[in-house]
Amino acid sequence: MPDEVLFENVSRFYGDVLGVNRVTLSIPPGITSLVGPNGSGKTTLMNLMTGLVRPTRGEILVLGISPQDPERLFKLVGYSTQFDSYPRGLTGFQFIHSYLRLFGMSDSDASSATARVIERVNLGDAAHRKVAGYSKGMRQRIKLAQAIAHNPRVLVLDEPLNGLDPLVRAETIALFREYAAEGRHVIVSSHILHEVDTISDQVILLANGYVVAEGQIKGVRDEMREHPMQVLIRCSRSQEMAARLFEQGHLVEAKLHSDGGGLLVKTRDADKFYRMLNRVALDGFDIESVAPADDNVNSLYEYLIGGEEPTR
Amino acid sequence: MMSVWLAQVAAVIRLEMKKTFLSKRGLWVYLLALAPVAIWGLHSAIEMQGAEERRVLNAAHPVSTEVLESIQRGMSLEEVEEKAGAPHTKFNVNQRGRGRRMDVNQYTDGRDLFTFTFFNGNLAQVQRRTRDTVAEDNLIFAGVFQFFFLRLAVFFGCVGVFTNLFRGELLDKSLHYYLLAPLRREVLMLGKYIAGLTATTVIFTTSAALQMWVLSLHFDKAEYASYMDGPGWGNTFAYLGVTVAACLGYGSVFLAAGLLFKNPILPAALVEAWESANLFLPAVLKKISIIFYLQSLCPVVATPDADMPKILKLLINAAEPASAPVAILGLLAVTAGVLVIAGRQARRLEINYSTD
Repeated sequence: MPDEVLFENVSRFYGDVLGVNRVTLSIPPGITSLVGPNGSGKTTLMNLMTGLVRPTRGEILVLGISPQDPERLFKLVGYSTQFDSYPRGLTGFQFIHSYLRLFGMSDSDASSATARVIERVNLGDAAHRKVAGYSKGMRQRIKLAQAIAHNPRVLVLDEPLNGLDPLVRAETIALFREYAAEGRHVIVSSHILHEVDTISDQVILLANGYVVAEGQIKGVRDEMREHPMQVLIRCSRSQEMAARLFEQGHLVEAKLHSDGGGLLVKTRDADKFYRMLNRVALDGFDIESVAPADDNVNSLYEYLIGGEEPTR
Repeated sequence: MMSVWLAQVAAVIRLEMKKTFLSKRGLWVYLLALAPVAIWGLHSAIEMQGAEERRVLNAAHPVSTEVLESIQRGMSLEEVEEKAGAPHTKFNVNQRGRGRRMDVNQYTDGRDLFTFTFFNGNLAQVQRRTRDTVAEDNLIFAGVFQFFFLRLAVFFGCVGVFTNLFRGELLDKSLHYYLLAPLRREVLMLGKYIAGLTATTVIFTTSAALQMWVLSLHFDKAEYASYMDGPGWGNTFAYLGVTVAACLGYGSVFLAAGLLFKNPILPAALVEAWESANLFLPAVLKKISIIFYLQSLCPVVATPDADMPKILKLLINAAEPASAPVAILGLLAVTAGVLVIAGRQARRLEINYSTD
C-alpha cells in the first residue's frame, strides 16, 4: 500500500471563489503542518483529502485510496474538523461510542475502545456530561478522541491546539509525536506559527489557495536564496568581526547589536558563510553563540507572501 | 460485508430515532397528526351529547318510532298532536307577506330527531335527522382520511421529518459526524430513511388508530359490534396499512428533496400541487403519483365533496383504481426509484456549511 498522501494538480472552486488551485503535493509520514492565514486553503485541503468536498479537477489519493471511497478511507483516516457542532444531546462517551458503532463495532468493543480513548485525552471525569456543556478545550479534546478512536494511520487535525491550556497542549503535541514516531501521518493545520515550528517534520505554506512552499522548514528556507538568511552572532569585538566577515565575502548586510556584544548579519549562502565564520573564529574572536535569526515559519511567511502574515 | 452494513444501518437508526421522535423542531408534526383525532373526538362528543339530550327529551315526552313514522304529510296539527302527544319543542311564525302561518313541532324517539313543519295547520314537510350510523360515518371518514389525513397531515408530516434528515443536519452543521465514519453514503441514507419511516409510521398510524377509536365512541354499541364482526377489522388494518404506505412513499420523495434542494419547501409545494391535481389528471399521469396508489388501497371509496363546483366535477377524470397488488408494487417501484436517485445524490453530498 502506498505510504503517502498525494495531491495531483488539484483545484477546488466554490462557485467563482477559489478554494485551492493547482495543488500538487506528496505528504510523507510524520508531522506535516499546513500553515497559512484564514482563507488560505488549509481547511479546503483537509476536507479534500477526507472527501468532505470533492476536487473540481485533479486527483487525490490517501495511502492509495480515493477520498470518494469513505468505506475504505475512514478505516485508515481520522479527522478532527474545525466544525464546533455535535449531534444533539450526546455525552462525550456517547459521542465516541456512537461514532465507533458506525464502524459496525459491537456494543462491548465500542464501549471499551471509547473508555480507552477518553482516558487517552484525559476526559474521563467529563465522559458522561453532555458535549454541549464542554469548554472549548474539552470540545477540542473530544474531537481529537473521535479522530484517534479507531487507531488510524493518517490523522488529519484542523487547528487542534486551539483553546487548549499549556499542559494539555504539551500532552497533545506529545501524542502527535508518538503517532509520527510510529510511522503514521499527522497532518495539522495552524495559523499560530510557533506551534508548528516546534512540532513539524515538514510544513506546507499556503496563501490564497496556492501552495507557496513545502518541505522541511530549514529546507524550505535554504531554497529561498533571494531572501538573505539572518544570523545572530554573540561575540566580543563585534565591530572588528563585522569588518572581517565583509572582507571574506558572502555577506549582504551586518548590523551591530546596540549592546556592542554581537551582530546580526545577512547572507545569501548559509553553508559558505558558516565555513567562513569557522575560519574567522580561529583568529581569536570570542564567539559566545551563533544562531539563525529567521529560520522559522514566521520568517518564511514574511518572505513568501509579504504583507499577508498569519496571526502570531 | 452485509452484516457490517446492517450493523451500520442500526447504528444510524439509533442516533436518528432520538432526533426524529423528541426534537422540538418536530413538535408540529405531532400537532398535525393529532388534529384529525381532535376533530373526530369533537364530532363524537357532539354526537354523544345530542344522543343524551334526545334520550332525556324522549323521557319527558315519550313517543315511539312507529308513531312518528306513521305521521304523513297532509295531516293536521291537531291530528299529529293527538297521535304523538305534545312535542318537546314547538314554535310558530306568522308569514304575513305570504299570508300564512307556519308551525314547527319537534319530537324525538330517543334516537332520531323529527321536525314537522305545518303551513296553515297542515303538515307540509317532515324532516328526520337520524343519529349518525357506522355506514354514514365510514363514508365521511374515508373522505377525511384521503383528502385531509393523507394529502395534508401525512404529507406535510413527511415533509417535516424526511427533509430534515439531511437538510436539518446541514443547518445544524453536524452532518460531518456521519461522513467521518467508514460508512457508504447509501447505507447512511438507508439508515436515516428507516429512522424517519419508523418515526412517521408510529406517529401517523397511532393517529389513524386513535381517529378510528374516537370516532367509534358515539356509535350504537350493537351496531358497531356488528360492523367490527363484518368488514370492521379489515378496514381498520387497511387504513393503517395505507398510512404506512403513505409514509413509505412520501418519505422517499422528501428524503430526496432534502438532498436535492437547499429549500425543500418549493419542491414540497410542487408535489402537493401534483398530488392534489391527481383527481383531474389523465389516467396515465395519475399513475406517476403516490396518492393514486394510496387511494387504490383505501378500503372505502371516497367521493368528491358534494359542494365541489360543477365545473371542477366535469374535470374529474375517473380512472379505474389499481388492484391491491399493482398498487403495492407501483408504490414500492416509485419509492425504490426515488431512493436510487437520493442515493446518487448522497454520494455527491459535500460538507460546505457556509453555503447551506
